[in-house]
Amino acid sequence: MFAKGTNKGFLGWMIFGIAMLALPLFASSATVRIFVFANYIAIFAISWDVLSGRTGYISFGHPFLIGIGGYTTALLTHHLDLPLYVTIPAAVLVTMIAGTLFFLPALRIRGTYFALVTLAFMELMYGLVQVVAPDITGGTRGLTGLPSIVTGAVSNYYLSFGVMFTLGLAMWLLIRTRLGTALGSIGMNEEAVRACGLNTTKLKLFAFTLSAMIAGLGGAMYIHYLGSIAPRGLFDVSFLFTILVACLLGGAGTITGPIMGAFFLTLLLEFLRPYIPGSERYLIYGAATLVLYVLQPRGIHRLIQITVNWFVEGFMRRKST
Amino acid sequence: MSYFTENKGFDTLSATSENRPQPMLEARGLTKSFGGLMATKNVSLHVNPGESLGIIGPNGAGKTTLLNLLTKEITPDQGSVFLNGNCIDRLSIHKRVLAGLARTYQVPRPFHDLTIQEHIRVGMMPDGLLDMLLHGADDEKELKIAESVGLGGERAQQYPYELAMGDLRRLELVRTLATEPSILLLDEVFAGLTVREIDQISELLTNRRATHSTTYMIVSHDLKALEPLVDRVVVINFGEVMTEGTFREVVADTDVQNAYLGTGWEQE
Repeated sequence: MFAKGTNKGFLGWMIFGIAMLALPLFASSATVRIFVFANYIAIFAISWDVLSGRTGYISFGHPFLIGIGGYTTALLTHHLDLPLYVTIPAAVLVTMIAGTLFFLPALRIRGTYFALVTLAFMELMYGLVQVVAPDITGGTRGLTGLPSIVTGAVSNYYLSFGVMFTLGLAMWLLIRTRLGTALGSIGMNEEAVRACGLNTTKLKLFAFTLSAMIAGLGGAMYIHYLGSIAPRGLFDVSFLFTILVACLLGGAGTITGPIMGAFFLTLLLEFLRPYIPGSERYLIYGAATLVLYVLQPRGIHRLIQITVNWFVEGFMRRKST
Repeated sequence: MSYFTENKGFDTLSATSENRPQPMLEARGLTKSFGGLMATKNVSLHVNPGESLGIIGPNGAGKTTLLNLLTKEITPDQGSVFLNGNCIDRLSIHKRVLAGLARTYQVPRPFHDLTIQEHIRVGMMPDGLLDMLLHGADDEKELKIAESVGLGGERAQQYPYELAMGDLRRLELVRTLATEPSILLLDEVFAGLTVREIDQISELLTNRRATHSTTYMIVSHDLKALEPLVDRVVVINFGEVMTEGTFREVVADTDVQNAYLGTGWEQE
């Protein structure tokens, strides 16, 4: 069912899982909170990677999807006082439906045009939330006092990690099936995929729905973690770029790469904060990203692969002599 | 499930009506213009089951456009396409492939991050998402198909960037063969190849014709390579069918010589 090498990769996932589970035993509460944020960025990066990393349809509108999920659960809890076990699944469902309705026509175009259309959706949502019924959406100031799913840094860490790990592993396994190969081949040459007798519209729709589901779930959980929602925080280009850079820097299309990228970016920024508290640290962030990208355009994922192979080959050579 | 549409407005071809076997593929009056340029004009032709048809003509004559019209990569302004007597005008590209009509491209279109074996996997992929998700790849069958074009064994794990043009053409061919076509359209299958590579591809097609019942439509400028592979040839010029016949008949035609081959071709 899965491609060769899955067992080795699965071992890597297990090591990663155990290390992350043990983290709160050693790390301070502040560090754990940083990791919570990294987990959510990783969830958004996985969502982007399932669609854009695999099929090559670069979405600039993921904050739009995350926002639909976030606003759905925020409105339902804030105005109707519905429990979270109702509002979060509802948010996922609404994101999948609304996202598909908006994005489906856009899947007919590709390249720069698709990216720009999706960016327009994000800007549209930013405008609409502030202008249309601000008494319901909270307008520019958004909504505050939203209930949390769990309380405390460690509980939030385990919750966010559990969701990120489960989604990440599931998507990683998915891309190792024949369906994953088909999705990946769309990004390489869509015409050739059609010439192989595959319905690319059906495949893209599947990838998009899956991506929207993850974005909706991540968005809904994220705003309950923050306890508030505001259009400026969600439909923002810098939020979009954090997701994009995490994916590209980590290695788009690999699922594990975007997770690595999300952790690298979040941790780099946060651990630089005590030393460079001002916005100058973004210069280091930019420089580090640029150097890494120049060094290995296929991302951290590939860099790690090369390093591991180098060590293994060296070890085997030494063993044989 | 049948991938054929109803023949609304078109007659189903019958063996008795025209006293010839029902063609496997038939184009009727295919016309396509791009702005002021008439790329194909009322092109009608057919290929019989098991036959190998050559399509020749000068550059820009409309040969590749014709293939694009047959596979619906371009929608014709007028005309219809029939497969095994059924009108397939309403079938999309991928459904035509599922119905048995597959093609290769003039410029190979490999998947840059997939191995040869994975290319075959994409060609063999089932139509249903659940099938793709739940059923693993058939390694043995994939390797057997790779072997059939000389890309088996360790070579099956090579990536497109490791391959020479001849092997890229084989890769294009094997990916298409993996769809199990009943009719295969080959677009400039010998373009950019060395003499040795042309011989290899030619031998491959000859052997396959001997062992499989696949029908072929081959577009090529390389007439020497084409001659042993085809039963009949159609000449296209300025988007129209100029003439058709056996290879010898066509190359002896004075009009074809004037329009395409030039004088002295037969002496070569």
